[in-house]
Amino acid sequence: MSSVDEDSKQQVLIETPVDSEAEDDDVIQDWSDAAKLSKKTTQTSLPKRGEKDYEPDGTDVQDLLLYRARKAMFDTLYNAARGTTLNNQVKAYYVPAFSEAVIPQPKGNFLQTIGKSDSNGKCWLQLHEFVYLAERGTIAPYYCKSFPIISGTENQDFEIPLSMQDLYSFFKSQHEMDRYFVYAHLKRLGFIVKLTEDHSTDYTTFFAPSGDSKVKRKLRLAFRSVLNFWNKQKCLALNTFFYGSWNFLIRKFTSTPQIYLGLSKLIPTCTPPKTIKDLHRERFLASKKDTVPHLELVFDLWKPQTNFKKKSPGLPDFQVVIHNKNDANQHFPTYSDFRELFHSLDYKFDFLSEIDDDISWNDHCYTNGVLRSEYLSSLKSKAVQMKSSIHNKMLRSKRGKPIKSCSPAALQTKRLKSGYRSFLVAVMDGGLISFVKISEADFGSENVWYVPSSSLKRNKGRNRKVSQR
Amino acid sequence: MAKLRPAGERYKYPLPIHPIENLPQLIPHNPISWVHWLYCYYKSFNGLPKRISIKILARKYCHIIVDDPDEMLFLWENGFFGTGQLSRSEPTWKARTIARMGDLCDEVDRGKSNLALEDITDRRRLQRIDFKKKRQQFEDQLLELRRRGGTIEDESKLVAKERESLRSLKDQQLLSFKKQNDTQLRSEDSELIDEKGELVNLESLELTFVEALFLSFAIPVLDVSPYVLIERFLGPIATLEYRNVYPSIKQYVAYHHYRSHGWCVRSGIKFGCDYLLYKRGPPFQHAQFCVKVLDVDETHDYTWYSSLARVAGGAKKTLVLCYVKNTTTEEEILRLLSKKNLTKALSSYEVSELIYRRWVPGKNRD
Repeated sequence: MSSVDEDSKQQVLIETPVDSEAEDDDVIQDWSDAAKLSKKTTQTSLPKRGEKDYEPDGTDVQDLLLYRARKAMFDTLYNAARGTTLNNQVKAYYVPAFSEAVIPQPKGNFLQTIGKSDSNGKCWLQLHEFVYLAERGTIAPYYCKSFPIISGTENQDFEIPLSMQDLYSFFKSQHEMDRYFVYAHLKRLGFIVKLTEDHSTDYTTFFAPSGDSKVKRKLRLAFRSVLNFWNKQKCLALNTFFYGSWNFLIRKFTSTPQIYLGLSKLIPTCTPPKTIKDLHRERFLASKKDTVPHLELVFDLWKPQTNFKKKSPGLPDFQVVIHNKNDANQHFPTYSDFRELFHSLDYKFDFLSEIDDDISWNDHCYTNGVLRSEYLSSLKSKAVQMKSSIHNKMLRSKRGKPIKSCSPAALQTKRLKSGYRSFLVAVMDGGLISFVKISEADFGSENVWYVPSSSLKRNKGRNRKVSQR
Repeated sequence: MAKLRPAGERYKYPLPIHPIENLPQLIPHNPISWVHWLYCYYKSFNGLPKRISIKILARKYCHIIVDDPDEMLFLWENGFFGTGQLSRSEPTWKARTIARMGDLCDEVDRGKSNLALEDITDRRRLQRIDFKKKRQQFEDQLLELRRRGGTIEDESKLVAKERESLRSLKDQQLLSFKKQNDTQLRSEDSELIDEKGELVNLESLELTFVEALFLSFAIPVLDVSPYVLIERFLGPIATLEYRNVYPSIKQYVAYHHYRSHGWCVRSGIKFGCDYLLYKRGPPFQHAQFCVKVLDVDETHDYTWYSSLARVAGGAKKTLVLCYVKNTTTEEEILRLLSKKNLTKALSSYEVSELIYRRWVPGKNRD
């Protein structure tokens, strides 16, 4: 059914689902006002559509509204100027030898986030970037028969224009295709996307550069396993008593938490790293595996931002894994696969800012082996960065109250619900992409039992008898 | 019998084993109070005066039944164990029937009757039907107006009126959530009354395997040994096979894990998962988490995960994938079981959790 009820836009819905957790999809834009928007840009966001009519009622009014809505959409589509201006056209040449494309005379907004420049002032694009830009009409794709291109020579022999079909045929495997689709999808939504394996820029990592001390690591691991063994034996002894038949005959529990504490020793749990220290320790102890993992992180993702630095992007906001649902050689990750992915994560661990409001990321990550804050000041771009951090602080204050003012129960719920380290799985099904966020949770460290208030406790003796029998 | 008392008092204890709380006051400068205190401490006891008796019915697919009304209620009120066979969860059949039959039953019984959850749901349904009827009336009016060729301004006026009156209807409904006392009798009702004129209790409480194991192994509540339970459900302990044992053990490990950290764990079958986690219990809060228990190297088609997450998300719950890992060998587990060392067998499993959530790019752009 189509949207017809334009005038009800201003009115409030009867039952508004306020909860942001409610899983509704992106709001579809209302075309009838999009045309006006493009003329006067005072309004910053697209208007939302009104309510839908439940069913066709056979009246002319409904048809009329439907017709109007449709016409508005088509008018908007027809009226926009299309195509590229010849003067502004940027030519890019595909170089088969490198499976990359080169722009001899780079210009345009896209350069802020895409491509990497070489010493000759040329811009190199990876295949997926090349196809994406060509599909958008930002660049004109050509095939380069011989490399290097002598810039300036407008020799027709060197220029074979490529069609979209040609471009798609350059993908060598389904995996590359999937990668492209996910890239293009996220790009169109405004995210800044880079390959995780691409370390050609100034590489930023959360983890401190460490002197490779194998002995120290082995010692630590040995110490850890001894400690684990000891703890296990201790727990086992306690448990054997607790679950033995004598426990409740001999021991007296004067509060429910005591009983719970006894119970909770039985099942050991896996505790994910939760603080900066934990993260560093885990990375230090993790051994490099020789086997090829089933899944690998493919993309780094940054939220849309104006002061993005292509040369030294900093830590990404998210990291993405691609899973093709219909590929018989792939399976949805098992727990062991997930574990390995968690070990390889290196992004802006957002849960850390849940613990500490004022975490300054530049003091906790390393670019080219030095602290990022030092790196940035050496670049003399501190001013720009300062601006952005102020901006971030403003954003945070807008987002809600600081962590410290939340109640412990609310914080606990938040910890349980959002978990700790996380990454995204982009699931490909045909051309459709859906995203899943997988995070580590730790129910084993949170106790939620109810502790009765003291006022209830006082008149308990009487109640106990009543409720027991 | 359910009484009109505040939920906080009724469900005071989260476990059937209560802490010792009736110790006398200890006065530091009065040695007699010490003696008294010590005597009380020595005499007091955490366990139940009498363990709750259960019946295990059927041979192949066993049912664990508690049929004493007081014991049923005790298990429900102290940790929300079990499900009433004729009710949604709390065994309320008797109370509901008494409320329905009214005069036929003892006056004394009636006084105790409370508004059961099932009744509340029924009433909400009726209200919703009312609401929908009223809305339909307005929809018809709107259609009429369109047919007559009313302007868009007229329509929006009507729509505004509709909203206004629907909202006031909602408010009214909330106010008039009062007790309606109407007795409905059915022809077969007479068979429910015994010769003393009292209602026969047809309902009993059914415990799941994990609940019964928890109540016998972890805390001594049921008068049955955990190994008897295992034998009845999984076969003779000496000839157990790992593939038969593992699914049940996996479920129990997860159940024990969440129970022991204070969650009220109930079956998640209505949400397509294994467990629902409540804080305190169903009368207090909606469950916030759906738990699906998985083996470490278990994997399914993506559709399997996404359907689970969709159902959980639609009910505003968070989906937790709980992975249970065996840290020893299968033979070792079987050996421990045959030696009746359930404690060591269970503690060789390790639990780790992941949260699975749909991610919408448009909502994560800032």
